[in-house]
Amino acid sequence: MRLYEYEAKQLFNKYKITIPGGRTALDPGEALEVGEEFGYNVVLKAQVLTGGRGKEGGIKLARSEGEVEKFSEELFKTKIKGYDVDKILVDPLLDIEKEFYLGITIDRFNYRLVMIASAEGGVDIEEVAAKTPEKIIKINFNMDEKYYAFEGMQLGKQLGVESGKLREFSGFCANLYRLFTDYDAKLMEINPLVQLKDGKFIAADARVSLDDDALFRHPDLAEMGIEKRHEEGELTPREIQAREWGIPYLDLDGYIGMFPGGAGFGIMGNDFIHYYGGKPANFMDSGGGPSPERLAKMLILLDENPDVKAIFGARFGGISRCDDFAKGVIMFLKEHGLSKPLVMRMTGNMWQEGVRLFEEAKAENPGLFERIEFHGIETPIEDIAKRAVELAGEQLNA
Amino acid sequence: MAILVDKNSKIIVQGITGGAGSFHAKRMIEYGTNIVGGISPGKGGQEVEGKPVFDTCAEAVDETGADTSVVFLSAKFVKDAVIEAVRAGIKFVVVVPEHIPIHDMLRIRVEAEKFGARVLGGNTAGIISPGQANLGIMPDIAFSPGRVGTVSRSGSITYYIADTLTRTGYGETTCVGLGGDPVLGSTFDEILELFEQDDQTKAVVMTGEIGGIYEERAASTIEKINTPVIAMIGGVFAPQGKRMGHAGAIVEGSMGTAESKLKILEEAGAHIAKTFNDIPEILGSLNI
Repeated sequence: MRLYEYEAKQLFNKYKITIPGGRTALDPGEALEVGEEFGYNVVLKAQVLTGGRGKEGGIKLARSEGEVEKFSEELFKTKIKGYDVDKILVDPLLDIEKEFYLGITIDRFNYRLVMIASAEGGVDIEEVAAKTPEKIIKINFNMDEKYYAFEGMQLGKQLGVESGKLREFSGFCANLYRLFTDYDAKLMEINPLVQLKDGKFIAADARVSLDDDALFRHPDLAEMGIEKRHEEGELTPREIQAREWGIPYLDLDGYIGMFPGGAGFGIMGNDFIHYYGGKPANFMDSGGGPSPERLAKMLILLDENPDVKAIFGARFGGISRCDDFAKGVIMFLKEHGLSKPLVMRMTGNMWQEGVRLFEEAKAENPGLFERIEFHGIETPIEDIAKRAVELAGEQLNA
Repeated sequence: MAILVDKNSKIIVQGITGGAGSFHAKRMIEYGTNIVGGISPGKGGQEVEGKPVFDTCAEAVDETGADTSVVFLSAKFVKDAVIEAVRAGIKFVVVVPEHIPIHDMLRIRVEAEKFGARVLGGNTAGIISPGQANLGIMPDIAFSPGRVGTVSRSGSITYYIADTLTRTGYGETTCVGLGGDPVLGSTFDEILELFEQDDQTKAVVMTGEIGGIYEERAASTIEKINTPVIAMIGGVFAPQGKRMGHAGAIVEGSMGTAESKLKILEEAGAHIAKTFNDIPEILGSLNI
């Protein structure tokens, strides 16, 4: 979960990592009020959850009242990679002597944390790493080791920090490291980390991504107004509906509705549809052990999508059992009804019970099952994917 | 033969009195898995499915000689449970729950290494050595004893591959689920090395997916080992940068794309399968 820059800076402030100390504004009038406090020498920064906002015109330097007004009006009208700008951060301009890059992230490959620094701050750090890797300095931290002050001092030395400032620089690194480990972070970056003309260090920018799965340990974030959010751009109405129902769902640009089991086969099943000449209308994941209600809702999303011409269904019962799967499908058929062809395969844990439930419901009301082609373990899943492509093709040509 | 678990493994279920824990304990026992007991702090002395429940792992190890554990607890309790298990002497821990905090998994991995233990998961369907032991949530119907090993990030993919191997008469030695979370206790390369040491495993099918880095880590091992490796990667047609449900499946630069993974694995000597049906064909062409 990525934080807005101003939220990241709130956390920095809590950990004594010096920040410029500006405030956010919700409209140009507020931007002018904050600007006045800093003598109209400010930087206006669009608060959006995406990188590269500088290149997209999301950061403006203003040096007069007129500029603050003009640039903030412009910013509130800008869209940055699809994101509206609802808030801008107004920070005082800094007396910059030198700029650095400082970051911490997780090295999943080697199961440790890594601190990354460069004397080339303020620019595209990935480009620096690609073209001049020798300018990037890394320190690895094993999970069972603490941070020692000498490490930050060695790092500062390599970056060319003068002797008198090494201790302060190391303290800065220590605070960032402490924040990273205390808050279950995935990524923290300061770019640039500015050294002011008077020698002090200050985080001119702040990027923080936290682990969604660890938010339960940090109730104080909600008190600070930092709540769980998603990192993508704008959602389609169906994606919004799916999210409200708690279903991982993405709209794609095809015409075959995908009603698979787990995410793993959800991803690969989409490839299969492509291999057989079709195009999936969506990606969907039932999650582990979905309830019948949730499964019924998954089908509603597909049935109500006018782009969907046929539905591909697959359930290999593991933690998600076939009896619950059958209950969900039957609930959908009874309460909503199916308006397009559905071909599906069901096997795995509790498959006998699933089949029994289907047969019982079908005996009761055969009409509900008219558009369903049902298969068990004897039919390879590839054949089901081919059949879905075929059925959708018939509908498209009809 | 098999890797990691067989009929002699002495297995405990951490969280055996919970809903998922007791349901799957029953299934595992019915399969013939040697479950020797379970852990549920505060419920020591009870029985589940005729197996003794202990308050702590240390007691269970003392009383039963347990060497393996399968965890059915909610994510926030997993770190403590796994560290307790490995410190008590358990050498292999299967972590079924998903959404385990990343910092917890890093800590678990370090602790397991320190105690010479191996961890599978989180978010794994488990591991099965057909005819011997089934740990986790995998459906028995897909599996039969045989001569091909499988290792996959995803449970559902494991079922489909075993289903294909079973239907075509190859059968499986052991099927390993690495798990779908972003940081995993075990990686492809480590499991491939174990299969290489198993005489009965004539080939290995490994399946990965977009996002993450552990598929790439397998390349140097594939080059080194003699056992043929068939590789499949899900997400060839996945839209870039979109999150596809598994916490792990986030496309991160070129390293995580399906193309880059397939290229690296193919260059290392893996045989690439596009669909499950390709697998028996490739095995046939290798005279396995």
